[in-house]
Amino acid sequence: MESLVNLLTVIGLPFTRLIFGAGRMFLLFIETVVWAFRPPFRFKLLLKQVEFIGINSLSVIILTGTFTGMVFAFQSYIGFSKFGAEYMVGTVVALGMARELGPVLSSIMVAARAGSAITAEIGTMRVTEQIDALYALAVEPVQYLVLPRIFAGIIVMPILNAVAVFCGTIGGYFVGVNILGINKTLYLQNMYRYVDLADFYNGMVKATVFGLILTLVGSYKGFYTKGGAAGVGQATTESVVLSCVLILVFDYILTAFMF
Amino acid sequence: MISGVDIQIEVKNLHKSFGDFKVHKGIDLLIPKGAITVILGPSGTGKSVLLKQIMGLIMPDKGEILVDGVDITKLDKKELVAVRKKFGMLFQNAALFDSMNVYENVAFPLREHTKLKEKEIRDIVIEKLRVVGLKDVEYKMPSELSGGMRKRVGLARAIALEPDIILYDEPTTGLDPIMKDVVDNLIYNTQKKLNITSVVISHDIDSTIKIADYVAMIYDGKTVINGTIEDLRTTDNPYVQQFLSGSMDGPIKIF
Ligand SMILES: Nc1ncnc2c1ncn2[C@@H]1O[C@H](COP(=O)(O)OP(=O)(O)OP(=O)(O)O)[C@@H](O)[C@H]1O
Ligand SMILES: [Mg+2]
Repeated sequence: MESLVNLLTVIGLPFTRLIFGAGRMFLLFIETVVWAFRPPFRFKLLLKQVEFIGINSLSVIILTGTFTGMVFAFQSYIGFSKFGAEYMVGTVVALGMARELGPVLSSIMVAARAGSAITAEIGTMRVTEQIDALYALAVEPVQYLVLPRIFAGIIVMPILNAVAVFCGTIGGYFVGVNILGINKTLYLQNMYRYVDLADFYNGMVKATVFGLILTLVGSYKGFYTKGGAAGVGQATTESVVLSCVLILVFDYILTAFMF
Repeated sequence: MISGVDIQIEVKNLHKSFGDFKVHKGIDLLIPKGAITVILGPSGTGKSVLLKQIMGLIMPDKGEILVDGVDITKLDKKELVAVRKKFGMLFQNAALFDSMNVYENVAFPLREHTKLKEKEIRDIVIEKLRVVGLKDVEYKMPSELSGGMRKRVGLARAIALEPDIILYDEPTTGLDPIMKDVVDNLIYNTQKKLNITSVVISHDIDSTIKIADYVAMIYDGKTVINGTIEDLRTTDNPYVQQFLSGSMDGPIKIF
């Protein structure tokens, strides 16, 4: 009997924590939406976050996108060359980048770069009472800290995704045509024929959702940080892990939904 | 005893625990309007937590906190923001925004809550920094300041908007004797000039006697005394007497 209770607590405790955490994160999101419709609108803070999350991530995104496209061209060439369909490499690279690799990889990079920084920054403000100071100065921290970050994430992530997809496609072309010697005209012709703007939009929707996820998780983990510098460190790690997991889970859900 | 005066803040039967640890076990407190009330008490008795509850930063488990007759424990977030505009607060650790320089920290409440022009903001910021004895530090970051300087920047930020009620959490702890006197005078003069309500947490008996109109003492989660400065001098309460004399022996337990 006792061991059964123990077993239940072992299974139950993380589970209730998970439900509790998800609920709290959802509430934070609702609160952010509510504050979005109340003045003041702090345009400057939004710009600062767009710069931090977006512009400062550009170089990483360009590198990630280009190399992913290049590697993808090599790998798919191996498969297609087995039945003489090398000219399909361009199609597959563009499709893969637009629908899947662009949004997922760029979001994971941004989660690691900016999501972690969001958690560390807000978490430090929490443990050093700066969030209390905001309250004390009659400024709502959710509106002041969380809203601009989430808003910036939603705006910026699709743009970064477009950059990643573009770079990946170029990278794939470079490897396919210049290194592997695939016929240039066939490569482009097939790419144009089989890849639609719809595929690209599909990825853009994903990127928007992932932008929301990584900024929401980052803010949430920071906002509820406890326990000094060690707490900030732990929250930052948890933030990146949770963002990445949620990005992959929602990638599946969105893919299945928009199939 | 406190009678015949307007009350700005009234705390009734306040209870607060963190986990199993009971910080407040029924605090009652009257804070008169337009006067300085000093709250005394040994370290760790929950003075800072009390101040945070008065501003609605921490919610009590039980009890009422009336600010101008309104129970702030029953307000929603939006209403709380409005109430907090009446307050200025100096945090024990100053709680400066470490991503902003000194100037931006002091200007912050002005930018958020007034429509003043940059020039007017500049004048106020420089003036507030001057009254706390700081100059030529506007462009330093908080991490470049000493503890005492940080505290004074926090003080300048708290008084920048000239709020109705100012809460000071140990404003003079960690300052040198001269700066202590400067800050005591500042608290005293700010109150007299603007006729605001000031609440000061302190350990310092001398400055309490210098600035206080009213005093309260908290010990073991309860209010030991809440009266005029005269009441403090004449009370025969053993807790108060021990605290005033600064003696190890008496009913206040040191573990
Ligand atoms: N967020 C918190 N979580 C858990 N316990 C807390 C929290 N804040 C304060 N406490 C506890 O409440 C008690 C009172 O803390 P508080 O900071 O109010 O003391 P204080 O009277 O201001 O002391 P001091 O004079 O040293 O500043 C302490 O024992 C502290 O450990
Ligand atoms: Mg304290």
